[in-house]
Amino acid sequence: MNAGRLEISRLYHRFAFGPRPGEFTAALKAGPAQTRNALLTPPTQDIGAQSVQPPALTDLGQRPKPNTPELVNFALGMRTQREALMLWWLDLLVKSDHGLTERLVWFWHGHWATSMSKVDHPLAMYKQNQTFRTYALGDLTAMSRAMLNDGALQFWLDGQTNTKGKPNENLAREFMELFLLGVNRYTEDDVKALSKSLTGYQLNSSTGEVRFNEKRHDFAPVALLGTTRHFSGEEASDYLVARSDCQKFIAERVWYRFISSTETMPNNFSAVSAYSSRNMLSAVTAAASDPEMQKVKNQMAKAPLEWFIAVCRALELTPSQLKRPAQISSHLNKLGQIPFNPPNVGGWPAGEAWLSSASAQYRIEFATWLAKQSSLRALNEIPVEKRVAQSADWLGVAQWSPRTQAALRSSVNNPIEFTVLALTSPEYVVSA
Amino acid sequence: MDTLTRRKFLRLTAGSVAVGAAAPLLNIADIAEAAISRPLPSGTPILVMVTLYGGNDGLNTVIPFKDPIYYSSRPDISYKEELVLPLDAELAFNPAMKSLKVLWDQKKVAIIRGVGYPNPDRSHFSSMAKWQTASPEKHINTGWLGRWIDTQPSDSMLAISLGSVLPPLFAGGRLSGSVLPLGGLVIPQGSLGRQCQQLAKPSRTDSNLMAAAATSMRNLFSVSTEVQPILKAPAPVAADLPVVNGGNAGGDSNLSQQLDIVAKLIAAGAPTKVWSVSLGGFDTHANEANAQSALLGVVSDSIARFMSQLRSTSRSQDVTVVVYSEFGRRVVGNGSQGTDHGTSGPMFVIGDKVNGGFYGDQPSLKNLIKGDLAVTTDFRDVYATLLEKVLRSPAEQTLGRWAGRTQFMKS
Repeated sequence: MNAGRLEISRLYHRFAFGPRPGEFTAALKAGPAQTRNALLTPPTQDIGAQSVQPPALTDLGQRPKPNTPELVNFALGMRTQREALMLWWLDLLVKSDHGLTERLVWFWHGHWATSMSKVDHPLAMYKQNQTFRTYALGDLTAMSRAMLNDGALQFWLDGQTNTKGKPNENLAREFMELFLLGVNRYTEDDVKALSKSLTGYQLNSSTGEVRFNEKRHDFAPVALLGTTRHFSGEEASDYLVARSDCQKFIAERVWYRFISSTETMPNNFSAVSAYSSRNMLSAVTAAASDPEMQKVKNQMAKAPLEWFIAVCRALELTPSQLKRPAQISSHLNKLGQIPFNPPNVGGWPAGEAWLSSASAQYRIEFATWLAKQSSLRALNEIPVEKRVAQSADWLGVAQWSPRTQAALRSSVNNPIEFTVLALTSPEYVVSA
Repeated sequence: MDTLTRRKFLRLTAGSVAVGAAAPLLNIADIAEAAISRPLPSGTPILVMVTLYGGNDGLNTVIPFKDPIYYSSRPDISYKEELVLPLDAELAFNPAMKSLKVLWDQKKVAIIRGVGYPNPDRSHFSSMAKWQTASPEKHINTGWLGRWIDTQPSDSMLAISLGSVLPPLFAGGRLSGSVLPLGGLVIPQGSLGRQCQQLAKPSRTDSNLMAAAATSMRNLFSVSTEVQPILKAPAPVAADLPVVNGGNAGGDSNLSQQLDIVAKLIAAGAPTKVWSVSLGGFDTHANEANAQSALLGVVSDSIARFMSQLRSTSRSQDVTVVVYSEFGRRVVGNGSQGTDHGTSGPMFVIGDKVNGGFYGDQPSLKNLIKGDLAVTTDFRDVYATLLEKVLRSPAEQTLGRWAGRTQFMKS
């Protein structure tokens, strides 16, 4: 396989959400180094992203009592606003001219994995999503403080019930295990200590606003990872972020989501040292430039949302403009991944989990639904006799196998079928 | 938790727990072949786990029909005394559970009351994960039966879960159970179908993940040719079996389909010692009475039918069925004719080798813990007993040191 092609394909499918028609061909001419620079440099303004209107979300207040007339409007409002929230982000993922920022928003959404299934209020989820965007490529110290003050996360992990004398360890445990340090890098006593430091947060669940109530905060000193003193929530957050375990842990997550979910991170993975700054752009830039990016073994399965967004970009589809856009959720649900609805606080899995036979069938169904709604402009512009070869450039695929070429060749005169086959082929479902 | 949520739970937790060990995907032909070439020796115990997703309301399953607090706590959704199926002077089955009542009368049903774990978690996902991993304190990646699978010689037929996704229950550290997908698959037809089969061919240039993607597509077609006809075939109920009355209106449920397949494969001699089947829809926050009784009717009738089917084989003595859910529900109804997430609930263990009757204390309705039922039996007591008495394996390898046992099996 052509090494440059493989690297460019990986850059597009892992550090962005796949190429738009023509982009991959241009990138091949420019070469891997220039492509990497372009993808990793945030533009001064993102015209595509600016074209997406923010969702119309309002504070719907607390859920009215059952069997009251107000409940109907509330429920309708919830449904409308949830759909608006979902379509807003899907559109943004497709329309953004700088895939890396949204890619990191997506990364952080799976990292601080919070689900609307419990949070309920789309407004709170929207605010959290905007926080991810603010810090997507930025500093973890500030991000972690912001997350401590995030209503959706606090509610998701029962932070508002964590008070002096009645600790709830849910948030504290996940701060160490899943958000900042990684499992087994602390003791159960540290969990108890941190839960005391995180006492006192109260929230308005419908707006996601958080306030600190010092009457509910435990001001007693605690022994947290070798230091005994009183920590406020934010001080504890800073303290955890500063630990070298945090540096290693976030680099491990970058490895797992961008380079390989199956291979173990090598100790010299350059994102580790780059993250001494706690700056995410540095870590991701190091990862994208690391020699591991060129190793054939470091393959990734595309998660269903990643696959869907890449398909929309290639097929020039805008999610909110699709026929009955509510069906997008139904398709994504069958594939097991709906944004704003991670299965649990651990986020979504990776790798072979996405490659079951049931998924193969649902992917064919979804691809057919999408292909029928696209003009397939890019494919139709390719002369029939060149479609097999040049469709790899259209979709940013490193290389079609002989098997897939044979399937595509039989369908060159049927653009919809050709597209469905290409989008459900092993070479497209997996980032080689 | 509706069925889609259940599937999501399974798919996602399966991926996150079965680290590096992708669940082998079987088809009926594989299992049939193994049944012929190396059938399970007669007399080998077989365990069938039935998972009820969504949190089954234990108080409306095994009903304390003489307790005035039961009626005052949930006036909208309590069952009148004249409707329930009494099991003793205090407790009764839900009216929909007539078939299971027949087995109870035959002393083949153990009801273990108040089962749960310390510090109950009211999240479906977290609580189900605790039940399946048997690790309430610490989040771990392996299921209790997955760890048992780890102690056994590697065999993809040893433990089979019906459905397309491996439950965490069967994820081990080294090995895992297999999945047998059923039903609901719409296979592409015509030209697209032919070309998809072309796409599914192995390629020398495939990386591991691409090969997995191609295999998943290939299995889609083998499932279509081998499993679908079996699913459509009528269930094999032998003529001499007792007719079980009541309930089964509305045709086969997915649970009874799953159990039909299990019955056929057990009868055929599949070398499988542990099976997993499931039913979703128990998350009855609203309008509970009809929904739950319909589901309980399905559970009761499907299991009774399954046990009947086995009676025409040489294996009926060997099979033990276990029914559980991730939590019970609140004692007090919630004002929308439903109940919210609660704590402990009853487990059922059913089979010829079971010593029928009640085990564990019935949680008091008077002394609630923050409005919820107390946990009177730890699920590890039950699991340890199943490991030792059914699977004849030391419990410690799987559960660590755990002293509690519940003696519901004839020894």
